[in-house]
Amino acid sequence: SGELYCSLLNPRNVRFESINMKNVLHWSAPEGTGNGVLYRVKYSVYGVGKWIRKPECRNINRTWCDLSSETSDYEEQYYASVKAFLNGMFSDWVETTRFNPLTDTKIDPPMVSVSSTDKSISIILTAPEKWKRSPEEESKSLLQVYPGLQYNVSVLNKKTKKRWFFSISNHTLVVPWLEPETAYCVSAQIHITTPILDSGFSKEYCIATSKDKTEA
Amino acid sequence: TAGNKILHFGACRVSMSMTEIRAGFTAIKANIQARDPIRTLSILSYPHSLHKVNSSDRCCITHHLFNFYVDKVFKHCKTEDSYVNRKISSIANSFLSIKRKLGQCHEKNQCMCGQESTEKFKQILANYEGLNVTSAAMKSLGELDILLDWME
Repeated sequence: SGELYCSLLNPRNVRFESINMKNVLHWSAPEGTGNGVLYRVKYSVYGVGKWIRKPECRNINRTWCDLSSETSDYEEQYYASVKAFLNGMFSDWVETTRFNPLTDTKIDPPMVSVSSTDKSISIILTAPEKWKRSPEEESKSLLQVYPGLQYNVSVLNKKTKKRWFFSISNHTLVVPWLEPETAYCVSAQIHITTPILDSGFSKEYCIATSKDKTEA
Repeated sequence: TAGNKILHFGACRVSMSMTEIRAGFTAIKANIQARDPIRTLSILSYPHSLHKVNSSDRCCITHHLFNFYVDKVFKHCKTEDSYVNRKISSIANSFLSIKRKLGQCHEKNQCMCGQESTEKFKQILANYEGLNVTSAAMKSLGELDILLDWME
C-alpha cells in the first residue's frame, strides 16, 4: 500500500537575536499549528562543511535555543537551522541568514554612576560585559571587543532644561562650572564607529549639586 | 571626511572611509549573502582565518586583498537590482582609492610581502578559482565584513 507522506509547514522567521553577544536562535511555529510541535536545531560555522546538532535543543517544544556557547568566537560567522515535527510529519530545515556576532549583536547601554560637588558632577561609565558561559569565567568588557568604543553623554539641568552632549572615549567625565543646589540628570549611550553599532540611551541618573562652599 | 579612519600598517598609513564602506555593505549584506548558497567554503577564512595572519604581513595581505577585490570581485557582481549595484560601485570606488594608497606604500617598500602572506593569498586565489567566476565573486563580496572586521 502507498505510504501516506505529508510534510509539515516550515518554522517561520528563523533568526538570531543577540544582545552583548548572548546569541539566541528564535523562530515562530509553522502557520496554523497549535501545541505539540517539537523542534530540532543545528548550526554550522560558515566556511566549514559540517552541520552540528544541538543536543539540548532536540525535540523541544519552545521556539528558542541558546547558541551563545557555540557562537562565542566572534571571529567566525554562523548559520543555524530549525526543523519542526508533529505526529510523524516534519518540515524542511529552515536556515537563518549568515550571522556575524561582531556586527549583528545589540549593545546594552552603559552603566552610569554620578557624584557631585557644589559646582561640578563626576560621571563614571562602564561598558557592558560580553556574554560568558558561567559566572566563574573571566569577564570580558565589550570595550575589549570593540576598541573604538565611545560614549555619548547627555547632561540636563532640570531647572533651566538646558542640555549638554558630550562624546568621549574615556570612561570618566567631569562637568565643571555648574550651579550649586541644582538637580542635573545624566544619561549615556555607547557609540561604536566601526562596525556601526549604537546602544540605546541609559535611563536618567539624577543628582543635585551641593550648597555653594564659598558662601559659608 | 567623516568616518575616515587612518589604518597603520607599520610605516604605511592609509586613510580609509571605513564607516562609508561598512554602511554600504550593511545595506546590501543580506541580499548578497542570500545569493551565495555554499556554506561549506569561505574564500577568505578557509582553511585559516585572516585573524591568524602575522602582524608583519598585514600590510602585504591587505594590499593583495584590495587588488583582488578591485580586479576580480566587484566587476563580476552585477545584479538585477539597481540599488544593490549602486552600493557595490560605491564600495568599489572606495576600494580603488585605498588600493592606490597601498600601492604607493608598496612602491616605497613599506608593505613588504613575507612568505606567510604570499601563501595565504595563494590560498585565497585557490578558493576563488575553485568556483565559477560569478559564484566566487558574489561569495567574496558577501565576505566583505570578514575583511573589514579583520582590518579593524
